[in-house]
Amino acid sequence: MPKAAVRKPKKKVCVFCKDKTDYIDYKDTSLLRKFISDRGKIRARRVTGNCSQHQRDVAIAVKNSREMALLPYTSTAR
Amino acid sequence: MGSALARHYELMVILDPDLEERTVAPSLDQFLSVVRNGGGAVEKVDVWGRRRLSYEIRKSHEGIYAVIDLHAEPDVVAELDRQLTLNESVIRTKVIRLPEAKKPRAARRPAA
Repeated sequence: MPKAAVRKPKKKVCVFCKDKTDYIDYKDTSLLRKFISDRGKIRARRVTGNCSQHQRDVAIAVKNSREMALLPYTSTAR
Repeated sequence: MGSALARHYELMVILDPDLEERTVAPSLDQFLSVVRNGGGAVEKVDVWGRRRLSYEIRKSHEGIYAVIDLHAEPDVVAELDRQLTLNESVIRTKVIRLPEAKKPRAARRPAA
């Protein structure tokens, strides 16, 4: 077997661009939870597949949400 | 209302969980009189009630959440926020300026 099979780049489209969202609500924790890890860290763009603008909006929303204790800053591994 | 500078804001407040839940709405209303006197309009007051905090604030794992939708001028909202933070029973506040219904893209720059 020669080289490991080349990973097929699965083209992801930003979910927010697809729905034409222009405001990401920091109160919508069920949505934002999809973009944080179990430890509470914000998922990288290469994981989420968001475009740069929406990734930034998500990050801001998560941070606002954390300030209001809706999302954790850290949570211990489960 | 009718003022050209009135903007759409959303205010979230976390109140002390030791407060009686029935007294929350009236006491919020008292705070919001600043907006009404300042020529603003309170659109909606949504009391979420007691909710678990993601982390401890002031030795407590709970808080009473309320979300308020309002139209007012910036300095009126700043004054409201100031008064809220001065109050002991208010744990946290957050003011977010919501995008206007139809946002004029070109209005980013100060109009000449």
